[in-house]
Amino acid sequence: MKLYDYILSPSCYKVRLMASLTGVKLDIRPVDFHPGTEHRSPELLALNPAGSIPILEDGDLVLTESSAMLAYLAAKAAPEWLAGSRPEEAARVQQWLSFSGRLTASLGGARLHEMLLRPGDIGALQTQGVAALRELEAGLFEQSMRGMRFLAAERPTIADIACFPYVALAPDGGVSLDPYPTIRLWSRAVRSLDQFLEMPGIHRLHELKPEPHVEGSEA
Amino acid sequence: MTVKAMIDEWYPVGLLSQLDLKGRKTALMDEPIDVALDADGNARVTGGNGRTLPVRVRYGHVWASLGEPKKELFDIPEADQPGRRFVDVGVVRVRCSPLRAVENFLDIAHFPFVHTDILGAEPHTEVQNYKVEIREEEDEVWATQVKFYQPQAAKSASGGITTEYMYRVPAPTCSVLYKTCPPRPGEWDVITLFVQPLAEDLCDVWPWMALFDDESSMTDLIHFQQTIFLQDRSILENQIPRLLPLDPGMEIPTRADLTSVAYRRWLKRHNYTYGAQLVAQ
Amino acid sequence: MPVALSVDLPAGTVVPARLPAGSVALWRSASGRPAASADRCPHRGMRLSHGFVRGEALSCIYHGWSYGQAGHCLRIPAHPRLAPPETIRVTTHRVEESDGLIWIAVGNPLSQPPRLTGFAPLRSLTVLAGVAAIEAAAGAKASLEGLLELSEDARNICLLLSAQDDGETLAHVLIKGEAGPADRVAASRTAESLRRKAEGLQKKEITQ
Repeated sequence: MKLYDYILSPSCYKVRLMASLTGVKLDIRPVDFHPGTEHRSPELLALNPAGSIPILEDGDLVLTESSAMLAYLAAKAAPEWLAGSRPEEAARVQQWLSFSGRLTASLGGARLHEMLLRPGDIGALQTQGVAALRELEAGLFEQSMRGMRFLAAERPTIADIACFPYVALAPDGGVSLDPYPTIRLWSRAVRSLDQFLEMPGIHRLHELKPEPHVEGSEA
Repeated sequence: MTVKAMIDEWYPVGLLSQLDLKGRKTALMDEPIDVALDADGNARVTGGNGRTLPVRVRYGHVWASLGEPKKELFDIPEADQPGRRFVDVGVVRVRCSPLRAVENFLDIAHFPFVHTDILGAEPHTEVQNYKVEIREEEDEVWATQVKFYQPQAAKSASGGITTEYMYRVPAPTCSVLYKTCPPRPGEWDVITLFVQPLAEDLCDVWPWMALFDDESSMTDLIHFQQTIFLQDRSILENQIPRLLPLDPGMEIPTRADLTSVAYRRWLKRHNYTYGAQLVAQ
Repeated sequence: MPVALSVDLPAGTVVPARLPAGSVALWRSASGRPAASADRCPHRGMRLSHGFVRGEALSCIYHGWSYGQAGHCLRIPAHPRLAPPETIRVTTHRVEESDGLIWIAVGNPLSQPPRLTGFAPLRSLTVLAGVAAIEAAAGAKASLEGLLELSEDARNICLLLSAQDDGETLAHVLIKGEAGPADRVAASRTAESLRRKAEGLQKKEITQ
């Protein structure tokens, strides 16, 4: 399975993270998105005329939407990441998968503007980003009242992976995460998952490892 | 804040490979500037009032000055050495003081916590003594014999090694790092941080590299360096205050921070205080 | 000042909180003790609320310097065999925890935080509006302690307000006694509606 990947892209990171969590080995093909704009090269446009990355290629299956890639990885390797048989759960997974597109447009747009100097109305992008974060905070709070720590169930699903990256990287676009206690708890739960993978801008949870022991002491 | 002393310095304002006739609007120390190619294919930088600024093209970048540079742009001899690959890493904007961006680049003690499992890892956190000096003749800050244990020192490294570093600050917002070169013992890889000060608390950072590495693809080399720098970015945007405090007392240095101590002293000596905070607030 | 819900600060975590004097790193040690320090590592100025908690110490994410509950520096990883001098410390604030809320002392209050008789905290919201706009939206006045009782059909909800230095307000939503999950979800949605209304009023006031 080949992933056309950019290390700083949160959408590409969704796929790398999902692969790591589900134990799928990806063949990574780095794309010089910045500064080279290779995603708009003839070779990549031939694969994805929309000119976006990630692109996931497996035999003659070519996927260009990250949510579809998450569903594919989960279906192949770890179906417990998909929705179960309860209609509410299935609906919530779809709800948040669709919602993740709004995170990409708002928080992702703000991040590209603030970090890589891409054009955009930064004020509007940040306002939309805050609105999306508030919805997510409220949604996660309501889930916690139902005894569920994640967006669609007590266990994490592809919906959590679809939403996590742009949320965790919101500060890159000048949108603070300070006002969202429930998002903080959820983000921590995601980052504590076994085989969790970081990307630049999301630091290691150093507390998961014990303090190294040092012998001797000088004053 | 004094603009004066720093106004005669050279600053990176764009990648030569990305220039076109249309030009690029950017800023230098609060002044809007325009960077473009002219009809003859030469880089041209125009200041806010339409005046043409002094320009150099070197190390893959276009350099300009708002004042009248008294010195030529600093030399990096390795930039002319055959066998090296030159890597334009591209621009990253950071909401921090340009001086804080340079100081972070001079620091190794943060490697285990910020560049975990790449440039450092617990329990290998100790910073051994190293040498720091202000070289009077060149008027540059130098740190040498800097050694640190690194799990993956470079794209070309496999497994952990103790890496040796040398740091050089030839201009207030530029630093050159010389680093053990895994595939070619005896040679140094060159990694630079060129910082364009847009405002006192906002900068565009242009990393550039001159490496011995015949194995990695150019994209891999770019991504490795972008990974490292983006790990630093979230630190740089959360330091308080935004400006670099030059007066002692505001922050606490240790032996590991001697390069930063010398850098701050050198900045103060030259009145390079654009992006600095002088009175503790 | 009420800064956070107890449930939003599990053992072994640190979160940012705000006081009139500036940002604070609010953390809870592995053994469960809450503490608050200035949100700035004195080494290089990095926000400590971005750090991590191991055992009974808070560490800075930048260089791993760690601090005890009383604010003294315990460890400098770059010099593992050095005992940090006494002079390296962060300012700390007194913390009290009662009825599921965490309070940080501003100045030197003589009394304990007020009790939430009959109410339990539900969630915290940041409102981009002042207390006056929230009062106008709710059609009620807040008490001296910042308690705002909602009228009409939301009598089981109460807001505990604290004004922030930038015109924003931190609102802790409190709910009466034995509410079930459905009541709690409804109360959360009521609070969201009130926030929308208050922010609308605030915006109107600014544009007028």
